[in-house]
Amino acid sequence: MFCEKAIELIRELQRNSEGQLPAFNEDGLRQILQEMEALYEQNQADVNKAKSAARSDLIPSIKLRHCCLLRNQRCIMAYLYDRLLRIRALRWEYGSVLPANVRFHMSAEEVQWFSQYKKSLASFMRSLGGGAGLDITQDMKPPKSLYIQVRCLKDHGEFEIDDGTVILLKKNSQHFLPRWKCEQLIRQGVLEHVVS
Amino acid sequence: MFVTDIRKDFYEVVANQRVALLVAADIDALCACKILQALFHCDHVQYTLVPVTGWQDLCTAFLEHKEQFRYFVLINCGANVDLLEMLQPDDDSIFFICDTHRPVDVVNVYNDTQIKLLIKQDDDLSVPSYDDIFRDEEDEDGDGDDSGNESDGGSEPSGKRRRFDEGAIERRIERQRARREWEARRREILFDYEQYEYHGTSAAMMFFELAWVLTKDTKDMLWWAVIGLTDQWVHDKITHMKYVTDIATMQRHVSRHNHRNEDEENSLSIDCMRISFEYDLRLTLYQHWSLYESICNSCYTSCSFKLWTLNGQKKLQEFLADMGLPLKQVKQKFNSMDISIKENLRDVIEESSNKYGMKDIRIQTFGVHFGFKNRFLAGDMVHAAAALLESTERDESDTTDNFIKALDSLSRSNIEWLHSGIDLAKKKLLAIQQTVASCICTNLILSQGPFLYCYLMEGTPDVKLFSKPLALTLLCKYLLRAFVHSTRNKRCKLLPLVMAAPKDVEKGTAIVVGIPPESETSDKKNFFGRAFEKAAESTSSRTLHNHFDMSIIELKTEDRSKFLDALITLLS
Repeated sequence: MFCEKAIELIRELQRNSEGQLPAFNEDGLRQILQEMEALYEQNQADVNKAKSAARSDLIPSIKLRHCCLLRNQRCIMAYLYDRLLRIRALRWEYGSVLPANVRFHMSAEEVQWFSQYKKSLASFMRSLGGGAGLDITQDMKPPKSLYIQVRCLKDHGEFEIDDGTVILLKKNSQHFLPRWKCEQLIRQGVLEHVVS
Repeated sequence: MFVTDIRKDFYEVVANQRVALLVAADIDALCACKILQALFHCDHVQYTLVPVTGWQDLCTAFLEHKEQFRYFVLINCGANVDLLEMLQPDDDSIFFICDTHRPVDVVNVYNDTQIKLLIKQDDDLSVPSYDDIFRDEEDEDGDGDDSGNESDGGSEPSGKRRRFDEGAIERRIERQRARREWEARRREILFDYEQYEYHGTSAAMMFFELAWVLTKDTKDMLWWAVIGLTDQWVHDKITHMKYVTDIATMQRHVSRHNHRNEDEENSLSIDCMRISFEYDLRLTLYQHWSLYESICNSCYTSCSFKLWTLNGQKKLQEFLADMGLPLKQVKQKFNSMDISIKENLRDVIEESSNKYGMKDIRIQTFGVHFGFKNRFLAGDMVHAAAALLESTERDESDTTDNFIKALDSLSRSNIEWLHSGIDLAKKKLLAIQQTVASCICTNLILSQGPFLYCYLMEGTPDVKLFSKPLALTLLCKYLLRAFVHSTRNKRCKLLPLVMAAPKDVEKGTAIVVGIPPESETSDKKNFFGRAFEKAAESTSSRTLHNHFDMSIIELKTEDRSKFLDALITLLS
């Protein structure tokens, strides 16, 4: 049946919940493009036949193939765009350096897009605050206090904070640290915010 | 050295620095830690909290953190040994020690630079004076000078020189004799000073006072201070007199905080925390259990009635009948008892218990009340937190996990943890009572001469519960009390108790605890710390003196008998 591979791609994205990026499905994409090519050629041939031999009974099949082509295009566009949105969210989630396993799942073009997005975000942030620059990827929720109490969930080794001092993060030790340094680690699951 | 002005010499010093908190594993330390954490949160002092369960933990934690921190605060650990020798710190590390263990090691007292003790100086310390213990080593040169003088003036007649020689030799002999005498006296003084272990003012109360001086004290901190004090009483660390005195101190703070409750117009919302002074019954956890269970499982009542005998059970029924409490009511959950019965319960029980020889069924304590459902007495919270701290529910759980859970349960926002702690405490109390009953009935307590001895076999039910120091100490205390009530031998009533229980079956270790004898006016001074050390040395048994309380040690089970023999000979 036509357009099934396209639906496969969409389903693959849906199966992976928000925020996860599955591997770039080159194969699937290539197959869909091949299908589209085949459909297009058939359509070309039929249109020529219909024009020259005045065979109007070919028109419904031409229309059908045309619809399939449009559908495939729409599915591919949705796939690519959704991936881009997820990659954009990754910048806000992880920071400007992506972990290796995530980068592995991106195609070369996506990597290029990501670096350009990074650049434009960085230049925007630099322009804020009258040229002084402001990091808007910090403090996604309005902070209640400067320092927070965190508990270490697993051994993470040494961790350096802004004034150069090093803290040893051992399992079940509790620390009282500036909140901006901890946010990264809290997102990674190494530290846990303790609300008493 | 002792810190005189705790605000200037401690708080303002650490306020702009990063601090490492090393906290021991007992409830008083947990409460003190919470108070200090709350103060640090107010002032944004960055800190790192590391739980430590013994000397080895302390050394490891210090080694790991000594690069990063200059200021260390030790809570309930470190005062009773020579800390500088044990940890070998750099010259710029400063230790603030708030510890209830006494006696405080003399080196810690007289060190001016690195050790600061957050302990009140009038706290019944009787530290020997400096000159009695320390002496400058410059007197060595006095001998040299004398012999040096002899070589001058070479034209002196030999007779005179011999007289000079004799004079010099006599002086030297005199000096050496004086020195020997001084050293003997010094040994004696140190022996007397360090012989008995006891406990001082609660660490939580010290930190609450700091909060009060900074006028940053809140009701939460006050409640934690009360829990810390009650922990000392529940685990029998301080005398009754001291407990009552400290309760009076706390009562002043409580009435100061309750000042706002009096106001009729702007009364506090029901969700606010209210602490009240209660002259309440000495029945453990009775408000969260049924009255009957509580009477059966509290040390005081169970030993007075001797509930492990049939006679005792009958007496209990008589007691309940005397008070007019129907059995059905008494066996239900306390909260579901009839209001008419609950109203005068305390007075009714006090009257009846006077008839049965229980004069002190009521004890001064504090209770807290927040929200509609949540009422707790200080004793309840101590038992719950102690049960969580030493829970053996999950086999391979880290001691630090339990520490974190117990620490969390002290906050008002973690009521579920508190309730689970109360359930664990109930199980623990039941286990203790059953073990006590079986030990008394099977005569497991033997008199070894200078002390009583009991060993828990490996197959005893719930023996895993008793491989932890706090639980074992509680069991020891109850057992001794029960024994004193059940034996007819007058001499045995005045003996202390040593108890051993298996700690780790695979490694073949046992945990040994010694407690002082039970008496009305006992001053809770424990000599077993030194005794255990000496006995272990003399028999070269494989012992581990890891616990901060010197009277709790670990021992290889094979060495148990020779260790015991050495102890008997030592103490007779």
